[in-house]
Amino acid sequence: MNDIIFDLKNVQFSYLGKFPALCGVDMTIRSGEKIAVIGANGTGKSTLLQLLDGLIFPDHGHVTAFGEKLLENSHVDEKTAHRFRKRVGLVFQNADIQLFCPSVREDIAFGPLQLGVAEEEVDRRIQEVAQVLDIQHLLERVPHQLSIGEKRRVAIASVLAIDPDVYLFDEPTAGLDPLTVRHIIDFIVHANRLGKTIITATHDLHIIGEIADTVYVFDRNKRIVRGGATQTVLNDRSLLEANNLIHIHQHHHNGKEHVHQHLPLEPHD
Amino acid sequence: MSNPVHKKSDFIERSILSALAFLKDATLSEEYANRKGLLQSLDPRFKTISFFAFLVTAVSLKNVVLIGTLYGLCLLLAFLSSIPVRHFLVRTLLFIPLFSLCIVLPTLFSIVTPGEAVWSFNILGISAVITRPGFDGALLFVVRIATSVSLVVLLSLTTRHSELLKVLRVFGVPPIFVLTVSMSYRYLYLFATMVENIFTAVKSRVGVVSHQRHGQNIVAWNIANTWNRTTQMSEEVYMAMLSRGYTGEPRLLSAFQATPKDWVWLLGAVIICASLFYRGYTL
Repeated sequence: MNDIIFDLKNVQFSYLGKFPALCGVDMTIRSGEKIAVIGANGTGKSTLLQLLDGLIFPDHGHVTAFGEKLLENSHVDEKTAHRFRKRVGLVFQNADIQLFCPSVREDIAFGPLQLGVAEEEVDRRIQEVAQVLDIQHLLERVPHQLSIGEKRRVAIASVLAIDPDVYLFDEPTAGLDPLTVRHIIDFIVHANRLGKTIITATHDLHIIGEIADTVYVFDRNKRIVRGGATQTVLNDRSLLEANNLIHIHQHHHNGKEHVHQHLPLEPHD
Repeated sequence: MSNPVHKKSDFIERSILSALAFLKDATLSEEYANRKGLLQSLDPRFKTISFFAFLVTAVSLKNVVLIGTLYGLCLLLAFLSSIPVRHFLVRTLLFIPLFSLCIVLPTLFSIVTPGEAVWSFNILGISAVITRPGFDGALLFVVRIATSVSLVVLLSLTTRHSELLKVLRVFGVPPIFVLTVSMSYRYLYLFATMVENIFTAVKSRVGVVSHQRHGQNIVAWNIANTWNRTTQMSEEVYMAMLSRGYTGEPRLLSAFQATPKDWVWLLGAVIICASLFYRGYTL
């Protein structure tokens, strides 16, 4: 079908040929979808995003992006590489990896400049994304002087400046304060309303209801154990518990000690 | 009571942590570059060209008074750029001229530089004579070094390192070189912080007292660990670059905006250098 962006068939990947990271993943992602990939640590979520971004390539099986197979030599040609990079942007989990330039302004400009955007247009985009993410005051700052939340927003800005069709987010809210988490969720929801395809790897179940319509659950065998509508997946408590995504815990709440499952969507007394 | 084993084992750790602290404070903080002042308000290209002209003048002049004038100008510029003069003097005068003095010490004496004797004395029965040409040459060398170092320090203190790197690009240095240097600079801070955190984590587990040999082992592990993490991170950073369209030929921002003030500054710098050269020629 024409609106299929990514099609993965029996994708297997291992690091150094001996540490399996993905063991037979099948997945189809369509334009404009809002998808979350959830799973405990080390289940292959980040690896999947890097495969979708054409940074690594499967050992077995294949990934098709925009109707063309993603192969190791398919990005050797600069035009082909740029065509793909303009359409897919990855926000890395560790913002320090993504922010490698000496100033925030240059980090935001890096992507568009590599993709051949004229400097005047790059300047315009810097101002625009800085306003959207409320980071105008950070433009001349050095990335290592920023807080984690600021770094994360700048990392998103560096991808937003490319204006891709597909956003890949790797743990976008990990370690952030509630207000920054809120800003990032709002950004993702807004981008999706504008027609962008959103794929988010996370194990923060509290945000999934807002940032995803479809959820894929990865298990310890580095396979998709379940995929489906967000609400349906999140209601399957045994599935989430079996995959280390919810836990039973005891805490002090409303003046009394009680024990319950920690669930993402349901309020509790 | 102090523990000698503890002191010995702490030596390497303290040295590393002090070096890291100095690196972060002195090199990576851009406190002065972010202040409002004369030099901070100038276009980095014009500032760099003018300082280069000052430097050439300082190196070329052979008159101590004229070089001293340039040094006075340097102090005035530091003052006008909101840099505490005392801090500036400590930073420039304390070490480098002292070292240069050590280098020129032998040239003071008649055995290296013969000429009119200014002062003679005996050390352990050996007669030592300081000569006029030796003294003049040494003084010129030290003043020239002090002025040159002060100019370079003033330029680096009042300019953000990212702007200095941009200036390199304007002068034709290949973008890949500039990008590599700027990335090294960027990650230096990150790894300095990481090494500090490792030491804190080790201390929290083994306590402050450890045997010297054990302390050396810890330092060796840290070096190996930092090396591994550096390699891993460099691969990930390269991926992040590829992800944003990098294909081996970096394209970087080059926007600078010169104002009439910059041209006036450059003209003033040229006039000062030309006047000093002329005065040096006529003396």
